[in-house]
Amino acid sequence: MNQSVTRAALLGALLTPAAAVTAGDADIDALRAELEAMRSQYEGRIRALESRLSDAEQAADVARQAAGADALSLPMTAPRVLRSQSQASGQVPAGSRSAGLFDAVTSGTAFNPQISVILDGNYYQDDTEDGNGAALVGEALQAGGGGHAHDHGAGGHDHGDGGHAHAVAEPGFNLRSAELYFSATVDPYFDAASYITISGDGDVTLEEAYFQTRSLPYGLRVKGGKFLSDFGYANNQHPHQWDFVDQNLPYLNLLGFHGIQDTGVQLTWLPELPVYTLLGAEALQGDQEVFGATLGDTDQTELNLGDTDSGPRLFTAFAKVAPEIGRNHALQIGVSYAHATQHQAVHEHTHAVHEHEHDEHDHGHDEHEHEHEHEAEHAHADEHAHDEHHDDMHDHGDGITEELHRAGLAGDADLWGIDLVYKYDAPGAYGQGDATFQTEYLRSSKDLTVRSSAHPERIGSNRTFTTDGLYAQATYGFLPKWKAGLRYDVLGLTNEVSGGRSDSFGSSERWTANVTWSLSEFSQLRAQYAYNDILVGEGDHGEEREQFSAFYLQFLMSLGSHGAHEF
Amino acid sequence: MRRLLTGLWAGLALLAAPVLALDVVATSPSMGALVRAVAPQAQLTVLAGPDRDLHALQAKPSMIRALRSADLLVAVGAELEMGWLPAASSSAANPDILPGREGYFEAAAQVPLLDVGGPADRAMGDVHPAGNPHVDLDPVRMAQVAEALGARMARLHPGNAASYRANARRFAKAVEQRLPQWQAELADAPGAVLYHRDAIYLLERFEVPLLGTIEPVPGVPPSGRDLRALAGKLRGGEGIIIHAPYQSPKGPRKLGRELGWPVETLPLSPPVSADGDGYLRHIDRWVSAVASA
Repeated sequence: MNQSVTRAALLGALLTPAAAVTAGDADIDALRAELEAMRSQYEGRIRALESRLSDAEQAADVARQAAGADALSLPMTAPRVLRSQSQASGQVPAGSRSAGLFDAVTSGTAFNPQISVILDGNYYQDDTEDGNGAALVGEALQAGGGGHAHDHGAGGHDHGDGGHAHAVAEPGFNLRSAELYFSATVDPYFDAASYITISGDGDVTLEEAYFQTRSLPYGLRVKGGKFLSDFGYANNQHPHQWDFVDQNLPYLNLLGFHGIQDTGVQLTWLPELPVYTLLGAEALQGDQEVFGATLGDTDQTELNLGDTDSGPRLFTAFAKVAPEIGRNHALQIGVSYAHATQHQAVHEHTHAVHEHEHDEHDHGHDEHEHEHEHEAEHAHADEHAHDEHHDDMHDHGDGITEELHRAGLAGDADLWGIDLVYKYDAPGAYGQGDATFQTEYLRSSKDLTVRSSAHPERIGSNRTFTTDGLYAQATYGFLPKWKAGLRYDVLGLTNEVSGGRSDSFGSSERWTANVTWSLSEFSQLRAQYAYNDILVGEGDHGEEREQFSAFYLQFLMSLGSHGAHEF
Repeated sequence: MRRLLTGLWAGLALLAAPVLALDVVATSPSMGALVRAVAPQAQLTVLAGPDRDLHALQAKPSMIRALRSADLLVAVGAELEMGWLPAASSSAANPDILPGREGYFEAAAQVPLLDVGGPADRAMGDVHPAGNPHVDLDPVRMAQVAEALGARMARLHPGNAASYRANARRFAKAVEQRLPQWQAELADAPGAVLYHRDAIYLLERFEVPLLGTIEPVPGVPPSGRDLRALAGKLRGGEGIIIHAPYQSPKGPRKLGRELGWPVETLPLSPPVSADGDGYLRHIDRWVSAVASA
């Protein structure tokens, strides 16, 4: 538009002398009149063009202001400037709430990040003897052991995560966490967010702190920092987003309370296809509690496991596809894979040895039974083993002593996952009629070599530990604001050791039902009952199971800005 | 190597070639109707139907897919879609349609808003101090929005600029023509009770009194006491009770029985397939409902 103005102006300027040169005496008046007419005509057109230009510039300014202010702060707020406009126009509708009396003058939050705080607390009871049901569900027996390998640290706990708070509910009142969430658009190139949880005991955990690109071409996005992996479906959800108070058995046991939450980078690609298809891969440091766990220095030396490799040690890849099934329905299917290049485990077992037998070191008489304990029992044995040392002797007082053996294993680990999620958005009020179905299957396989053992003949032999699990859960909005949920989860459909020896263990399962009352978008109350059948050990006397009921009352309060949740 | 690069650039140039028709995503059918009015040839995806609450929607993969290839996202704005649109549009990996870019268009940002300010206190319910976002029921504001949309489309797709502007103008003219008739119809309307303050732009435009809302504060369903109090206030008067299809009919019906007033279920948006005329018919529907009280 600028150009056309200049062109018109030039044309006008050129025409003036041209007309003067061709002027003859007789025609001067006529020419003058013509010239005047042309001049006024062009001036008029130039004026018109100028006014159009300034209109356009103004419009662009307004648009830029409206958009620009938002780009750096809350993406969806209307510009504040409109307030004075609407007041100036005096268009206060009948019955509208008058601003003023309760109005607070604020300094504005234009450049502050969006902040929300989520309070998550519960009342918990179960009918186990020790009231430790909430811990037991995370210590279900799996071949090769999941449970927090680094907690085995003998004597000197040199692994930083040893005393890590896992927000395990105890009977009575629990404040699981206050979760602080900050997010903002950093500049035109990056978004960033951080989630910090403060547990009821005051432990502060940085759950996530990452940046994500916002202007890469071709559907690419890069995320970097500490974040929840997009492996599977449930993995990237924070506890307050769960449909149930607690995590499902496969995730809890195969990945730990936090799932795959690690430091690294993620690349995702969303190609332009008629069907939603997301492909992604991650390289992560590998500081894991369960999958790809490494032990502390003392253990590594003592058990001949070698040092922790430099990172990244954990790699994931995932694909998610969502066919179009109508505006009010959503279906997504995903496949995920994770590989930990290093996994270390310590396996503990005890030998009941009669004093007179002990000197003979006769372990051969009951090899099979020993192995059971050897490969599996530690999952909960470690709870009591913190101060035990290799070959500790425990006098039972009746001529039988107990001898603790620790074996070190090292290798790598693979994890496969398949997930399917369906959601229906019903027309009912406040979520009435809404339905969701969500299911995932996880299979973890650890390929380890025995590096140290009290039984030297086993050193160097291979062990593959495979444990899988699945959960299926559904929710339904049976009344406005009321939602019911049902979940079945099982760990250890396959639960076996193969390689140097083979063995197989049973499974743990649970049924959970709950009711959630969302009083508003910002508050939720939930009651949940679960019947647990957890395999905690398998030894000389067959399976050792804990069957118990667990009951939660939970509140979730969301303070501050309206968060937007992903699918 | 050089040839390969040239080929690659040529390919990219093809990809970036001027669009023949804009790929537009509209969050609601009202916005979709405006898009059709201004750019009938645009390839349009409407994310939500008129029977769903735009404020309570969830981000879905199909939305992300539509946003991935969009040249323009047309939202109602003013935090109406904030529970899902930011998640969907940032997941779409399409920088062109993020807020702050030319490809992001918010209707509420084009016109003066009502209910601006007020205490940012959720004891008052799900309040949005930035202003009431439901601008799409005011035909005059929508005409302004259409012209702004025409200007935006002209910037995105200069080849068709004249047509976008002319279409927007035509829509604005059509609204102007209908306006006296609507005004006449609603001149003596006694007023309406809404479930939520979602049709106040229409009432305010035609100077129809808002007699009350079924929900005591935004986002909170009424208790029996709230309804009795409202009925006590309105008894003896005349009016109509209007609620959207996704709002619980229980409260409105109860109030209607007590007052002997008609109760109407009216969507806030026209049908998904509506164009400019469809939008005008939608306003006709509202006007005759409010006038029927």
